[in-house]
Parts: sequence; C-alpha cells; structure tokens
Amino acid sequence: MTRYLVKRTLWAAFVLATLVTAVFFLIHKAGDPATVALGPRATADAIADFKRQKGLDQPLAAQFGSYLGVAPCVRLDSPDYRDGDGHCGLLQGSLGTSYTHREDVAAVIGHRMPRTLLLGVMAMVFELLFGISAGIIAALRRNTWTDTGIMVLTFAGISVPTFVTGPIALFVVAFLLGWFPMGGYGVGFWNHVYHGLLPSMILAVGGAATYARILRGELVETLRMDYVRTAKAKGLGPFPVVVRHALRNALIPIVTLLGLSLPGLVSGAIVTEKIFNWPGLGMLTIEAINKLDVPIIMATVLMFGVLVQLGNLLADVAVATLDPRIRMGERG
Amino acid sequence: MTPSTRKSEPKVGWFRRSLPGMALTLALLSCAAYAVTHVPARPEGPRYLGAGNPTPRSGGTFVFGAASDVPSLDPHIAYDANSYMALRLVFDGLLDYDHTGRMVPSLARAMPTVSDDGRTFTFHLREGVYFHDSPIFDGPRELVAEDVRFSLERLLHPETASPGVSFFGRLRGFEDYRAGRAEHVAGIAVRGRYEVAFTLDEPDQTFLNALAMVFAYPVPRENYEHYAALGDAGEVERNPIGTGPFAFEEWERGVQLTFTRNRSYWQPNRPNPDRMVMIEQLSGETAVGRFSNGDLDVLTSLPAVHYLFFKQAEAWAPYMAEEPEATIRGLCMNTQMAPFDNVHVRRAVAAAIDRDFMRQMAQGRALPAGQMLPPMIPGYDEHLPSLQRFDLQRAREEMRLAGYPDGLPEPVTAWIAEGQGSLVAAQLWGRDLERIGIRVEYRQVAFSVYVEETGKPGQAQLFPSGWNMDFPDPSNFLEILLHSQNIRPESSENRSFYRNPELDALLDEARGEPDRERRLALYRRANDIVSRDAPWAFLSNDLGAELWQPYVMNYRPHPVWKENYRDVWLDLPRRRVPDSIYTMGGAR
Repeated sequence: MTRYLVKRTLWAAFVLATLVTAVFFLIHKAGDPATVALGPRATADAIADFKRQKGLDQPLAAQFGSYLGVAPCVRLDSPDYRDGDGHCGLLQGSLGTSYTHREDVAAVIGHRMPRTLLLGVMAMVFELLFGISAGIIAALRRNTWTDTGIMVLTFAGISVPTFVTGPIALFVVAFLLGWFPMGGYGVGFWNHVYHGLLPSMILAVGGAATYARILRGELVETLRMDYVRTAKAKGLGPFPVVVRHALRNALIPIVTLLGLSLPGLVSGAIVTEKIFNWPGLGMLTIEAINKLDVPIIMATVLMFGVLVQLGNLLADVAVATLDPRIRMGERG
Repeated sequence: MTPSTRKSEPKVGWFRRSLPGMALTLALLSCAAYAVTHVPARPEGPRYLGAGNPTPRSGGTFVFGAASDVPSLDPHIAYDANSYMALRLVFDGLLDYDHTGRMVPSLARAMPTVSDDGRTFTFHLREGVYFHDSPIFDGPRELVAEDVRFSLERLLHPETASPGVSFFGRLRGFEDYRAGRAEHVAGIAVRGRYEVAFTLDEPDQTFLNALAMVFAYPVPRENYEHYAALGDAGEVERNPIGTGPFAFEEWERGVQLTFTRNRSYWQPNRPNPDRMVMIEQLSGETAVGRFSNGDLDVLTSLPAVHYLFFKQAEAWAPYMAEEPEATIRGLCMNTQMAPFDNVHVRRAVAAAIDRDFMRQMAQGRALPAGQMLPPMIPGYDEHLPSLQRFDLQRAREEMRLAGYPDGLPEPVTAWIAEGQGSLVAAQLWGRDLERIGIRVEYRQVAFSVYVEETGKPGQAQLFPSGWNMDFPDPSNFLEILLHSQNIRPESSENRSFYRNPELDALLDEARGEPDRERRLALYRRANDIVSRDAPWAFLSNDLGAELWQPYVMNYRPHPVWKENYRDVWLDLPRRRVPDSIYTMGGAR
C-alpha cells in the first residue's frame, strides 16, 4: 500500500509538471498577453511599460524559471523583485498578479472559491435528495407507471444538457413566474443561498437522474436477496425494508460516484455559472482564457490538475478500503 | 405508501404496463409546452411609474449594471466603459463635457487661459472642493493644485504602466520624466494653492481633451501612500477616493459595487439618489429580465430580439433613446501590401460594398457611413462628395483602372476575430467583393491574435476594424488611425499602414491651429483626402439604444460618456402599474 501511494504521488507530480510546462508555453504561443490585457487601443508606450512590469519582455525560458521560482524574478511589480536576486514563483508560494483583475491570484481565487463551493454543495444536496428519493420510489413501485414515468424523466434528465435547461428555467421560473431571482449572486449568505437555488437545481438534474437510475437498479437487485425476503417474512412493510435494510448496501456505488465528482465540485460548473451569472471559478477560468490572463489560467490549471490527481487517488483508496478483493499493491 | 406486493409478479406485458407511464410523460411534456406558450405574461410596458414629484429630490437607490467585470477603480489604469461608469461617479475632472458634448470647466473655475504661443494652459481650481471623507486623512482634505500635479505624474510614471500615457506625450519634459532623468514633469507648474499651468513642446489643441479624460482625474496622494505603506500598493485600485458626487462604499468582487451620495459635494443642492448599486456580470438576457421586473433602473446592452420588442412597445417609447454613437466601423486595407497598395483597388472595395447589410446585421442598429468621421464629430461633412458609397458600376470601373478588369488573379486573405456574427458579416461583404472579382479567403483567429497580427506591417492584407472615440475631436480619428507617425513595427495604431505626407502635414497644422473654424476646415480637407484615398472602406456607425425606468429622471445617454449616471435623480415612491393595463396580463 505504501509503495503504491509513493508511486502514485510521483506519477502525479510528473503529470502536474508536464501540465504546467505545456500550458505555460502554449499560452505564450497563443498571443501577446500585454496586447490583450490593455486592449486594442493601447499604444506602444503603454504596452512596453506593461511588458516591463510583468517581465513579458524577458526570454520565455527566464519567464518560466521565474514563474516556477527556480530562476530570478522577472516581474518588476512583484514585491519580491530585487534586481536579479529575489524569487517570486511557485516554489515561493506566489501565483503572481492577475493581469485583468489586477490583484494577487490567490486573492482572486480566494474570492471565487467559496461561491463555487456553495453552488457545488447545494447541487450535491439536490442530487442526493432528488436522486435517492426518486430511486427509492421507482424501486418500490417497480414495473408500475410511476416507475416508468420516473425512468423516462431521468432519461431526459441525463440527456438534456444544462445549456438547454438553464435558459428555459431562467425564463419560465425566474422571469415569467418570478419565483427565483434572475441570476446573480446577491449580497449576504442567505441571499447567496436563495440566488443559488435555481442554478444548483439545474446543475443537479444530471447527477440526480444518474443516481436515481443506479439506485433503482441496485435496490431491485438487493430486494431479491434472501435477507430482504426474511425481513419481509417477519412482517416488515416495504418501506422499512428498503430504508432499514436494502438501502445501505445499494448506496455503495452512489458513494463512489460522489467521491469521483469532488474535483468537479471545485472546478465549477462553467456553463451553469455563465448562464446564471454566478461569479465563481468556472466563469473566472473562461474569462481568463478569453483575455489571456496568464497568471489566472496557470493557477486554475494547476489547481484543477492537483484536484483531479487527488480525487483519483482518493477514489482508488476508497474503493480498496471498501472492497478488500482489490489489492492495490498487486495491481501493477 | 400502499403495499404493492401483488405487482411483484406482473401478469400483463411490458408494453401495456408502460402505457400509463408514457401517458404521464406525455402529459408532463404537454404541461411544459403549455407553460412555455401560454405564460408569456411579459409586460408590454413599464411595471412602475414615477410619483410625479414637481421638483427634483434626493433619495432612493439607483441600480445599474455592466455586462462584464469592472477591471479597476484607479483612474490611471482603467480604460474601459465599465470602469468609467463607476469612476465618473467617484471622481471629477478639471474639465468635462456637457449634455451637448461641449467642453465645460468642472473642478477648474473656468476654461483655462491660453498663452499667445498656444503652448501654455493655466487653470484656476475651484476653492472649497474636498475629497470624500476617509480615515486616511487628518480631517477635511481640500483639493489643491499639487494634487493635479501628483495625479498626472503618477499617471505618466513607467511603474504605473498606464494605457493613457501617450495622450500627454506633448507635455514639456515628458521624456525626461519617463526616463527617470527628472523628478517632476517640467511642463506641469504649480503656481499657488489653486493655480496650475501646463506647458507643451508644441501647440496642441487636443491637450484639453486629454485633460478631460478619466486618466487625468485628480486623486489624493495619501491614498497611494497609505496602501504602499501597508505593503499592498495594488489595493488602492479597489479603494478609490475622489471629489465626485458619490463616494465609493464597497466592492464585492465580481458581484456588485456600491456608492453613497456625497452630501458635501461642491455643487450644492444637487438632487441625487442616496445610493448607487452597480451590478457586475449582468448579461443581456438577465438584464432584460430584471429591467422588465423593475429591479434594474437602466438597460444599456440589449440583445437583438429584445431590442425589437422594446422598439415596438409603445409604452416604452418615452423612456427609450436611440442615438448614433461616435464609432466608425469598416474594412481596413493594408496599403503597404499588394493589391491594396493600389489606390484603385481600395476605391473599388469602398464602392463595391452594400452598406445596407451592416444595418440588417445589426437589426437596424447601425447607420451607413461613407467617411471616417461620425456625424456628431466636428469636421464631419454631410456634403462630402464621397466615393465611399455602394456603386457597383464605379467599383468595376476602378478595378479596370487598377489594371484588373477581370478581377484579381489571387484571392486576398481577410483576418477575422472570433466572435458572434463576425464571420457572417465578413461573408456578406466578401460576397460583395466577389462581384467585382476579388475573391476573399477568411482567416478566423482568436481576438488576441487578431489584435496582435493586424498591428504588424506586412501581416494582414484586409480585416474588419473599428474605432470608438476617446474624446470628441476629429484628431482622435484621423490622426490616431492614419497619421504616419503612428505606424510602428508592433502594436501600430495606424493599422492600414497608410503614409501620406500631405495628410500628415494637414494633421500637424490642424493640431496646433488655435482658431476653431480654420482648424475644422483643415480636418474637413483631411477627411476628404482619406475618403478618396480609401485606406479604409468606411461602412457604418453604431446606433446605441438605451432604456430607463419612468421614475428615473434627468437621464439621457451622454454624447461623450454614454452611460453617465451622475446627474440622475429618482421620482419616488414609484407606483405599480396594474397588470391589466397591458393586454397580455401580468405574471405576478
């Protein structure tokens, strides 16, 4: 197990290093960040000033070294810049300053992260709430019209993408009926929750539908088991049987899926955030790419990379812990 | 929950069992369809009207929005419409423009006195103008001439990396200061507590326009020193202190900005809302929804379908303005690259394009253009004998004069930026060019690549381009975009790389000409040359459309600033309009 973990960690470090290197050089090939940050109206003087301040006039290798923190800092506007001596890169814990938000990248992400997490957690709650209850009902009433109805709806829920359901919900439920705000984030925690209801429900549709279908399948299997039959024979009604005995076993795949969805929780629902003007990390990433805000792009790529690696590792460990038949060290 | 064990051993077939489920699904879908088609209770007019107060009054909260983020609240850094909406509330300039676009004194007591050689402008500041209260000041902090100098010098300092530096390039001592050879800009002289004079290397009438830009708005030195001392100099960009009618209150990043009324503003008895809320990231659809519900007080960016809706809604007519904006859109031709080094090919292009498509593409929100200057810019000539007008016969004639009676042997490459509709528009004018034998190949690239590559000589033959003015003066179009001094190896402002000594001489003369009429005559000649030489095919001017709520008073789109909310007051309490007034009925 320990050997496996060490191996996995080394592999993750290798993947992250490759990722950072590739993205860094690719962005700088995509266009000139100074031209984009200052806009098409900026004059040559202004662009030259900006490049000098951000170190964009230095060779790409020096910039990369500076970004990693292994070479002297090239960013004149960094507090750590000291004439070819100071370091201001990743190794020193600095992500740089955003070109468009003009603020420390860690601070920008710090603003956005709680918003994305709130949306993600609310969506997860709705996914479980709707998914599990629909799954239980469908399983209890299997092969009835209720079951079929739920299965058809879940099928639709999995198939129809957010960019279709989102605008429709916004138009009908928020605009015409006025039950929810027209997008946005609001001010104050409960206001954030209120603003997040509609987007998180829309975000939860796909997950809830998936959970409902999986749970129904598992429950139907479990309800055929001998111990369930025994429980029934002892005179328990179908509801207590399901909730007290069958559900526990049927939930295992859901828990696994939930673990795998953790990185997505932080990376943010890009489409949903855009539709509902939810100022989270997803929207931040898209804007940064559009505006070639290199420090933000690098930071988000790095963050998502770490999360995906971590999520996969956790999922592997969790599966191994839950199911002793999987022997990690022997897997190769 | 009813026991349903009997169902566990079904006796009927799958299809018959599923029939009810299908029926349920069908019913649900029909309900959804019904809801979508029968609930459109979108009100045909405003939901709220004003109270009808006979005299202007202060109070209430005014809510407006921006389609994207506000990048910065530092006047030296910001160079975009969103930031300007906010900065124009918090700051004042020495000079400003009134509602007709005429330049007027603001923090200056009067228009400056100009020396005989036209190089020195002397300003007298208003006395008793105070910066907003702040704990960083020791008490009331009056605006003085030294603040004006500090502000401009910070703007010009290379460490600030301001995009506005070049507007002040003619100040005496500009280069020495920028290179670190002088502690102060020699051309800025503080001559007393309230008197400041600017001296230029050569006469330049547009210097006053530059001083009226947001870049030159005075800021207090203490604010910068405060945050620098805290070791977080950048934080000043999120905590502006000015002299304006509203003081900055709070900024929840990416969400909203709030401002409160400056009760000791130097213009007494000025009616204004008590609070201003600026919502960031308010996209078109969302903005329309909130505006229709009365949750947003002005609507500035209208998606096309909604524009048509509001234009047809009679009840909105008194609260809607459509005004031409000071923009020019067109096709930029690289005059140093074949075949556009041939003036006849350029003229042929300018005559071959049917301008009406631009209007159609914009659902009527564009006006056909035939010259560089938009109609509201002085120097615009409505009688210009323009070659820049759709005339297929003349276009073919020009192609013959160019030596290509059968069209160009090679296709030309047009660089197009990514984005909605840009390729569609390009294909429309491309089709027009095909009719005179110019085949167009499109190269659609990321916006950043487009900006970068079209600014290099010998790179892009042909590309759609446009310009929004910085200030209402013809030089801001003709000189910036076509003077040969603005040709550069990178980030060239003259992107058609047009070089005409006659035009350069005219523009140089006009810049220093103190007599307004003679000056405009020079620009009219320059405008005529450009129209005939056709480094651009001028296609259209934008037509802006804005709406405001009936209870929003004293608001019109400003000819220079467009969204200018500093003079607004609210006619409160607002009255709810009964839903029954509108034929469709109400939703709530």
